[in-house]
Amino acid sequence: MADLFPQDAHPDAAKLEGLRHTEQYSFYMPENYAFRSEKGLTKRVVEQISYQKNEPEWMLKFRLRALEIAEKKGRPKWGPDLSHLDFDEIYFYIRPQDRKGTNSWDDVPEEVRETYRRLGIPEAEQKMLAGVGAQYESEMVYHNLKEEWEKKGVIFLDSDTGLQEHPELFKEHFATVVPPEDNYFAAVNSAVWSGGSFVYVPAGVEIDVPLQAYFLINAQSMGQFERTLIIGEPGSRFHYIEGCTAPTYNSDSFHSGVIEIIVKERANVRYSTIQNWSHNVYNLVTQRAIVQRHGSMGWLDGNLGSKVTMKYPSTYLMGEGAHGEVLSIAFATDGQHQDAGAKVIHAAPNTTSSVVSKSISKGTGRSSYRGLVQIHEGATNARSNVECDALLLDEHAKTDTYPYIEINEKTAHVGHEATVSKLNDEQIFYLMSRGLPEDAAMALIVRGFLDPVAKELPLEYAVELNRLIELEMEGSVG
Amino acid sequence: MALLQDNAAVGEAAVEALIARFGEPDWLAEERRAALRTYQATPFPTNRDEVWRYTQLERFAIDGLALVDGPRDAGVADRIAMRITDSDAEAAMVIKNGEVVHRAGRVGEPGVVFTDLRTALRDHEALVRRHLYSVVNATMSKAAALDAALWTNGTFLYVPRDVEVTLPLGTFTTADRGGLSAGRTLIVVDVNAKVTFVDEYTSDPIGERLAHHAATEIVLEDGAKLRYVSLQNWSREVVQQNKIRARLARDARLESLTVSLGGDAARAEVEVDLEGPGSESEMLGLYFADEGQHYNQYTLQHHASDHALSDLLFKGALRDASTAVYSGVIVVDPGAQKTDAYQTNRNLLLDAESEAVSIPQLEIKANDVKCSHGSTTGPVPEDQRFYLMSRGLRPEVAEHVLVTGFLYEVMSRVTLPRVAEYVERVVQAKLGVPGVKEKL
Repeated sequence: MADLFPQDAHPDAAKLEGLRHTEQYSFYMPENYAFRSEKGLTKRVVEQISYQKNEPEWMLKFRLRALEIAEKKGRPKWGPDLSHLDFDEIYFYIRPQDRKGTNSWDDVPEEVRETYRRLGIPEAEQKMLAGVGAQYESEMVYHNLKEEWEKKGVIFLDSDTGLQEHPELFKEHFATVVPPEDNYFAAVNSAVWSGGSFVYVPAGVEIDVPLQAYFLINAQSMGQFERTLIIGEPGSRFHYIEGCTAPTYNSDSFHSGVIEIIVKERANVRYSTIQNWSHNVYNLVTQRAIVQRHGSMGWLDGNLGSKVTMKYPSTYLMGEGAHGEVLSIAFATDGQHQDAGAKVIHAAPNTTSSVVSKSISKGTGRSSYRGLVQIHEGATNARSNVECDALLLDEHAKTDTYPYIEINEKTAHVGHEATVSKLNDEQIFYLMSRGLPEDAAMALIVRGFLDPVAKELPLEYAVELNRLIELEMEGSVG
Repeated sequence: MALLQDNAAVGEAAVEALIARFGEPDWLAEERRAALRTYQATPFPTNRDEVWRYTQLERFAIDGLALVDGPRDAGVADRIAMRITDSDAEAAMVIKNGEVVHRAGRVGEPGVVFTDLRTALRDHEALVRRHLYSVVNATMSKAAALDAALWTNGTFLYVPRDVEVTLPLGTFTTADRGGLSAGRTLIVVDVNAKVTFVDEYTSDPIGERLAHHAATEIVLEDGAKLRYVSLQNWSREVVQQNKIRARLARDARLESLTVSLGGDAARAEVEVDLEGPGSESEMLGLYFADEGQHYNQYTLQHHASDHALSDLLFKGALRDASTAVYSGVIVVDPGAQKTDAYQTNRNLLLDAESEAVSIPQLEIKANDVKCSHGSTTGPVPEDQRFYLMSRGLRPEVAEHVLVTGFLYEVMSRVTLPRVAEYVERVVQAKLGVPGVKEKL
């Protein structure tokens, strides 16, 4: 199979010149793929994907129906400019070396490990972390789940394996939170999805160490359409973390994931992600959770990379007393547009929600907060509070705030506040008078601005976030 | 989704008839014809259009309505006559279905022109020509195009350089018959001049449906100051669309207040272009919707220049299955440094069937700015109600006090006691406070 499809030439160094982050973040590995679909989004490609994965009939039908919906829907007419996103130039499926997921770190391909090293993720940390699913290209290739969890009945697999090994459970919940009709990119994902995580935590099971999945893009012009399905049974409690970093290639890449989370009664689920795609990736993701009685859903959504991101984690508070929380940070530098935000739908009494958004725009970067708070009739005593703070570092930086607030219930209490400011000259002056160079002073203030979010992160992520901020702030003076 | 149908009466024949009837100059005739072409080329808004997403479009329908051609009778309704008697205005004018039926007082300050647009076209054509359509024009929306093509009459106010008009001036726009009508207000305040103007829309019950279109153009030259009030208290058969837009030159200051209390449905678009450094715009809004009324308030604070300030506060109360939309945007252009821009919307929901939508937006393209916005929606605070009841007030009285107090925050920032008293009376009448009638 490996030889049936032409390989792209190894990109030469000249092509990478002029791109940002060519020091630490320009890594690429020679492509070595077992199967790659033809370019473009067609019925044939969808059928090939399903055939390659040896999927049940219902999934193929689902994919084809989703493709029809996508064709009918067309792209959204609002938000960032997507005119440079050309589906005919994208590979919708690549399967790394026909390889099944592995259980041991030693089995992970050397090039993947090399990529991790370049990212600064030490092997020791990998081993310490409870379970790591690394999505290299379109499929999970690495899994490690602690034994005691398996005993408790926890399932943490890549979605493809999840479908094969737990067909009933998978079918029961799949696409119930984000149906393909929901939006154009959800329909595209439904047609060509591959990889992602399948997490099932049984009733009453609490997991202290976060479940983590790293995944990467490494093929030029390859779309990545992960499909993550997370089910928290009543009374369960866990934290799922996803981080992604992509090598910098110079043709536009496309990532469009769908994340579905079901938080059952009294369950407590946190989902954290910090995306740092290379600056040529279109990152258009649908993330949604349904929360039942007294359940609690927390999102931490960090957007540092990509060319264009459109991502609005949404929380449907369906049961009485359900709670939703979103912490969102965005960092937009030259040429980037971070269009992020949050949606909270209050559909039951005594539901509460809180959204905190912090964004930074630098150079010609643009960050937008786009949000929705909806209080339905009968959702008595619902409470929601939204706070957005934007920091503008340069004269040409831009920021927008588009919060939609729809209230159809007398007893609702809803508040929204946003502020926009620049870096405080006095603070910079003070820090410089204490001996800090200007860029270090600026980086310190930016880190302070993001601190309320950073302190919610597990330590290793907070460290990584700080390192990324420092990198972004390097050379920002002058 | 409701799709609006066009009105067969809106066409070349109607425009030509207007031009001929008033013997309008060629330049205006051409403007009207061009506006009609724009109107015809512009589709009706649908709920797919972002700025019409929450609008109950069918309530603004114009199909089947005849163009209004003058009032049934030229009498001045008691409600208006008494308001004029009671007011502290220096001069006032009543325009009924496009015809001036009453003028009261006269402006003492030299060189001030306060008259209707028809008279102004005759006596001050050059001045009207220079400014008409310069702030609100046909390309801005379907409704603005309709108004530009078919307006029949309205207010013209010009205050020359360095002149300060001490007492308020006002126009009552009223109607005694239904149909489709369009009016216009043009205010030009010259360098360092100062004036207060109240545009009031009011009527006794008409007995048939009236769709009124209004366009308000405000030009403030360097250092000019204007307090402008738009007070909509139409009878319940009326729907109104009004675009109010102001252009501010260096150091100009606009203090605007937009009040929506009457009508079946009303859409007010309040927009300022801060084009001169040091210009300031205070924008206040108050609305109280009851018995199923539907209000839209769309605002724009456009900072095109540096060192400008805008401060917006819109407060509204809703009950009896009413709906209100507040949507406003602060736009700061590249280079508009040292901008101060603030925006606040607060809604009070008095029953479960009412619905409030609030969309305060920011689009900031300069970094050395102070911008913030806030929005809150909630019921009458229980602890405050409890406090008042513990002091012996009946529950409904406590609610009256709290709603009036909530809205009073807006009126307290307007130094026009007669207008504030009137608004308070209308609010209390809507609340059903015993002994308060809305009349006068």
